[in-house]
Amino acid sequence: MQILSKEIVFLITFTTAIFLIAPIFLIVYVSYYNKKKAKHFEEKEALRKTFELELLRSQFEVQEHTMETIATNLHDNIGQLLSLTSMTLSSVKAEGLQETKVNTAGELVHRAIQELRQLSKMMSGKELISKNLGHAIAFELDWLKKGTDYEVLFTDHTSRSIPEHADKELILFRLFQEILSNIIRHAEATQITIVLEQSERFLSLVVKDNGKGFIVEEKKEANAGMGLFNISKRAKMMDGTFSIDSVTGVGTKISVSIPYI
Amino acid sequence: MPIYLSVNTTAEIICFLIALFCLSGDKSAVWKSFIGYLFIVCLTETIGVYLRIQHMRNYLVYSIFLLFECMMISLFFYHIYKRYHHKLRMLYGWICLFLLVYLAEMLSLHFKSFPSLTATFMSVVFVVASLYFYLLIIKDEKFRQLGTYPPFWIVNGILFFYFGSTACNVFYDYLVNHEKGISPNLSIRYIIFNLLNILLYACWSYAFICRYYQKKLSS
Repeated sequence: MQILSKEIVFLITFTTAIFLIAPIFLIVYVSYYNKKKAKHFEEKEALRKTFELELLRSQFEVQEHTMETIATNLHDNIGQLLSLTSMTLSSVKAEGLQETKVNTAGELVHRAIQELRQLSKMMSGKELISKNLGHAIAFELDWLKKGTDYEVLFTDHTSRSIPEHADKELILFRLFQEILSNIIRHAEATQITIVLEQSERFLSLVVKDNGKGFIVEEKKEANAGMGLFNISKRAKMMDGTFSIDSVTGVGTKISVSIPYI
Repeated sequence: MPIYLSVNTTAEIICFLIALFCLSGDKSAVWKSFIGYLFIVCLTETIGVYLRIQHMRNYLVYSIFLLFECMMISLFFYHIYKRYHHKLRMLYGWICLFLLVYLAEMLSLHFKSFPSLTATFMSVVFVVASLYFYLLIIKDEKFRQLGTYPPFWIVNGILFFYFGSTACNVFYDYLVNHEKGISPNLSIRYIIFNLLNILLYACWSYAFICRYYQKKLSS
């Protein structure tokens, strides 16, 4: 009986040991599987981000291409028609009141040609950027000053342009146009300050206004700031940073910085 | 006094104190109830030791404690399954089934012994519940850092304890009546349960600490 007891005690000890080892393996397996799951999630997330960036890049390219086409059509077709109209008007021989009217029509057509050229130039980003980003921004601001009474302050601290980064400059310019358009549509500002800065590694654009401002978190939660969302996405597309600082009743400051070496 | 401080009671008291420190400010009632449960554990163990010293049988204390044990662990499983849309009626169903088995065994024993079959049945259910929890973790699309995930460590402790105690539960009657221990006060059942208790309360203490730090970081 004593032997039997010892055997059973050994059996219980052995079984318990097995029953304790089994959960250890199980826990290790669950943890290992969980780690693999984490890695899979990371890969999935990276793929999703790459896809989003590619989509954004394609959207930007399509948009840029469309604008180029419109700009070319405006310049080549409508511009030519207006030039012909101007030439026709100048060849008309009229007298008295009719001459005055023909001359006025000629002047109006001439102004229309100028406006059209400026508009087509502004739409054609590559042409604007061909000099440098500062020049493009100044051109855009000239256009703004003509039609509105904003007090605009533009400071250009860029020292050199890197031709290989023309695409980056173009994207930054389009971001600037988006920010400016947002200010005109929503901010109710009277003053706009733009600072373009270049450091050793970065090109930064800061746009400040003295408008009504808004609560950034609220906009984000309400998903209302699609424009801001796009700006942020495009800044990320260039491995850059985007920050927004807004105080209700005081104004908004938007900073975009992109690598530029 | 030292006689009350066995390996078991020491592990339980330490775990109770950790729970008291880490969970007293917890907003979840289920987590907070661990404090009360561990207090009952310590109380039961103390009464059990006291009765043993007085040469009185202490099975009734542990039989009553079995009810608290089942309630607490079932409630915790329900709490962690809840996020996977499990229904409350499943908890009620299991509690009713447990009470039925418990009462049936107690009546058949005329309330004169510990209901070891019920304890075995409960152990099997808790082991299955633990394994099901692992399955839910594996199937869950959300990733969790398991090394510091408190429910994971609570369930690990439960699995170690109930899976490890299966052999002892199955041979409970034999061990109580026939086993001649290594020494008069040192039976194999006692050693195994000491080891299992240490594993259980170590896992739980770690879970409480993880919970405490997570709550502190999120607040």
